[in-house]
Amino acid sequence: MNDSRRQVLQMLADGKITAEEAERLLSALESNAATGGNGARYAGAASAGDAEPAKPRPKYLRVLVESQEGESGKNGPTSVNIRVPMRLLRAGVRLASLIPAQAHEHLDQALNKQGIPLTLSQIKPENLEELVDSLDDLTVDVTGKESSSNANVKVRVFSE
Amino acid sequence: MTPNLAIVHIHNSFWPGFRLWIPLFLLWIPLIILSPLIFLVLLGCCLAARISVWRAIAVFWGLICSLPGTGVSVNAEGNRVFLQIY
Repeated sequence: MNDSRRQVLQMLADGKITAEEAERLLSALESNAATGGNGARYAGAASAGDAEPAKPRPKYLRVLVESQEGESGKNGPTSVNIRVPMRLLRAGVRLASLIPAQAHEHLDQALNKQGIPLTLSQIKPENLEELVDSLDDLTVDVTGKESSSNANVKVRVFSE
Repeated sequence: MTPNLAIVHIHNSFWPGFRLWIPLFLLWIPLIILSPLIFLVLLGCCLAARISVWRAIAVFWGLICSLPGTGVSVNAEGNRVFLQIY
């Protein structure tokens, strides 16, 4: 039994809440655990009785671009290594809340012109938080050829 | 925590380049001196755009405080640019 359930039952036993209220709280706790919010995913997994150890939360988003010369495998002329703290991404998405309401219409029209059917006013800060949270599991590997030097280029985007 | 130090290295194949250690914490001195002016400019911008001044300050403060740990390194044909913020 985890701490939250025990706390609810203790409150019921102490008479601080009614049986209906306790039922509602317990069902809310269960639904929260079933949806697997980040809290349960990262920190609370061990307390919920899962055998799987809690996964450490990634701190950085990394973008690596490496080029290798043809068949020799030597490092090519270009390499990029970018490390962006996840906190910076979260702070960055909060900038969206500073977009004036009157600018939303213009932005929506411009996005629609580009074929992106997005309504900015419908995007809430919570949605953006979810978006950044979901980057934790992101891994992108792209391999291609550099046009100028014909070197193999590998692009990797991942969180660590 | 606000960024305290930025390290910038720039090299290229024709020129030895330079390494700069920029003590960002020293920027607090002019920033504090200019803070009334900065606040007035920010207030004007926020009023013009009809957004909350406090929200704007919170967002920018959050951005500044999350800068430490950022690193960029780019190598291209003998040229190298490196930036790290602590």
